Amino acid sequence: MCPTILALLLNSAITSNLKLKVTFFLAMCCALVFPAFASTPSSGTLTPVNGSSTTWAGSGIAGATTDETTCVDGTDCDVFTITLTGSPSNYQGLILAINISHSVTLNDYDLYVHKGSLSGPVIASSTNGIPETGESVVIDPTVSGTGVYIVHVVDSNVTPGDPYSGVASITTPPTDSPAHGTAPTYSNYQSPPGLGDSSGEPSIGANFNSGRIMTQAVFDTLQVTFNPSTSPASATWLLKDGPNTNITTLDPILFTDSQTGRTVVSQLFGTTSLSAFTDNDGATYTLSQGGGIASGVDHQTVGGGPFRLCTADQLLATPAPCAQLAARGPLTQYPHAVYYASQDIGDAEMALSQDGGLTYEAAHPMYTLVECGGLHGHIKVSKSGIVYVPNKSCGSTQGLIVSMDNGITFTVEPVTGSTSGTSDPSVGVGAKGRVYFGYIGGDGHPHISVSDDQGRSWHNDLDVGVPFAIRNAAFPEVVAGDNDRASFFFLATPSAGDATGADTGTPFNGVWHGYIATTYNGGRSWFTVDATPTDPVQLGVICTQGTTCPSGTRNLLDFNDITVDRVGRVFTAYTDGCITAACIAKGNNASAPHTRLDNDQATKATIIRQSTGKGLFKSYDSTPLRP
Amino acid sequence: MKRAAFLAFLVLSLTASAVGKQPAPEILGLRLGMSYNQAHARLNEIGQFKSEDEGQQVWTLSHDKHYQYLIIGFDRDRHVRYVTVLARPDGQPVNYADVGNLAYAARSGGEGNLRYTWKANDKKGRFEYLAIAKGKDPRHLNRYAVKRLGVAAADDDRD
Repeated sequence: MCPTILALLLNSAITSNLKLKVTFFLAMCCALVFPAFASTPSSGTLTPVNGSSTTWAGSGIAGATTDETTCVDGTDCDVFTITLTGSPSNYQGLILAINISHSVTLNDYDLYVHKGSLSGPVIASSTNGIPETGESVVIDPTVSGTGVYIVHVVDSNVTPGDPYSGVASITTPPTDSPAHGTAPTYSNYQSPPGLGDSSGEPSIGANFNSGRIMTQAVFDTLQVTFNPSTSPASATWLLKDGPNTNITTLDPILFTDSQTGRTVVSQLFGTTSLSAFTDNDGATYTLSQGGGIASGVDHQTVGGGPFRLCTADQLLATPAPCAQLAARGPLTQYPHAVYYASQDIGDAEMALSQDGGLTYEAAHPMYTLVECGGLHGHIKVSKSGIVYVPNKSCGSTQGLIVSMDNGITFTVEPVTGSTSGTSDPSVGVGAKGRVYFGYIGGDGHPHISVSDDQGRSWHNDLDVGVPFAIRNAAFPEVVAGDNDRASFFFLATPSAGDATGADTGTPFNGVWHGYIATTYNGGRSWFTVDATPTDPVQLGVICTQGTTCPSGTRNLLDFNDITVDRVGRVFTAYTDGCITAACIAKGNNASAPHTRLDNDQATKATIIRQSTGKGLFKSYDSTPLRP
Repeated sequence: MKRAAFLAFLVLSLTASAVGKQPAPEILGLRLGMSYNQAHARLNEIGQFKSEDEGQQVWTLSHDKHYQYLIIGFDRDRHVRYVTVLARPDGQPVNYADVGNLAYAARSGGEGNLRYTWKANDKKGRFEYLAIAKGKDPRHLNRYAVKRLGVAAADDDRD
């Protein structure tokens, strides 16, 4: 009985002291009855010989977790240790293959492999969902080294009676498989005349409950409804301004919590922001305090998602820190956290709202300018409540700022392998915690890197602009769905030169399009698609040097945005700087000049909507997207 | 009752006059509104340039026993808009009360995230400014800043 009760509680947020006490009591009961388990055997050794193998049996653990960070070993996850003998060079032409399998298609195990120890970097993971009955990873010991590997098997959602079995073997590598299948297609929807005409740095969000899209074009808060009864779908745009968010601004931002349907709009104003939120896509608003930073400078961002709260198993294992987390949980019926962050004077800070964005606490420092540049990208929150803020310059690399305690403390994780750049990077977080970090490197190319351990280590850093010979890119935006699926939107041009500078010498000559790269295999390969193939977004320079940019070079301002709807369809918001027939014709004429003098310098709100192809949620693959 | 009130007033007045009601609009000789060249002359006396980001500069302080780094921001006219100093982890601690009279500060935050904010005019009344002391410790600050109000940062997006 105890495991059943615990399983019911595992995914539920602990929202009150009473619930905390009840859960703790139940967990204690269970601990007395059900001892911790371990895999059998607990370890094995492999040699650098094709065919060397070891097997083990899972401990029969059952439970449910949000991601690896919310499991408790011996309760809803277990460990098997592999030791590779010899030196890395002994494994030339060989790989370490690790597989686990189970029987019941309604159960879901996940597989993580750490190097060295359980707290070491995750160098490979496999997090398929129901109805898959196996997980597998491949590791190259010539790259990752020999010695100890920790196989961490986590119950994503497992009922008792379906133990897994594991096999690790040394074998020859499989044939490398680039992205295969059909690439997604996209359609563009320009806002109607009079709406979204001034749309620098737009934001976009999807309300899973209503199915509507919300987007911000400086002062215009726009509700967009797509009607799929026609093909292509028609779009209805409605102006839904908040009472205090269409007056003045130093920076606009909109955030929609897809799960709750709440949209927060914020306009930077002096040392705070004018802000309001709506639960009905703009029909009515509630005024907000605005932010928690007393002297914020600029570039504020709002984000949110689940609070980080302990599962019942974690509560049993670490009651004190769990109680601290619970104290920063929801204070009202609104179940999710809302965060406000901004550059301040010499540092960047973040403030938590425990009442859905109505009020904010005094902000906590995230980092100082000694560690990272002041401006940062937008907040993303994982399903397990981990808060991420990307930064384009933390020393010589891009950086990811991480909070595991609802915004009290922060760590700065360098994105190893990256180089610092001039566009704010973006993160997408998969359903089981995989982090996709999209950025424009110092070489101007669009890169995306993947982490399975909250930014402590990175892998699969790829230049997704290669299929189009991209030489310069700007405004990276990432959204993830299932753990293995993510989309990466960016503006880019194949033209070389100083494409994002001040354009003070010979004007930069290039045509910019909007590209979307999508992965369905956890970032190992990406489909890159030109989503604006016949309609350029900009001619000439896109200056990313802030207000030092000369007039006529910064019409797009500083960023775009991307989101995903309930069925996994991807939407992006971008500012279109080239909208007249003459400008578009020049952009489509390879022999025409393409400098800022040929550009419209327009700022028109436009949405890209995925038309066909697989979305970001596998559970909807059986219902193909229609244009 | 009247005597107690008088004593309380006297204590408050003495404390205020001893510490100064409001912090001065400067840190380590770097005064709000100072020109870029003047500021750099002073900065070169007390530290070494470390990095620059969006018109804000980080300087490593050479010999200050309290503070390790100084961060300075300029407005569009290249005058000092703000100065922030970060406490040296192994340095001589600075109490919140050392920078201004706490009785005149607004206290916010809480345990582990404390801040005192003073709002003041400079002596000639030319501009308003904030002085902000923040820290995790209940007595010692981690960082201290003065910021001029009503001027745009060099990197503000719009007016």
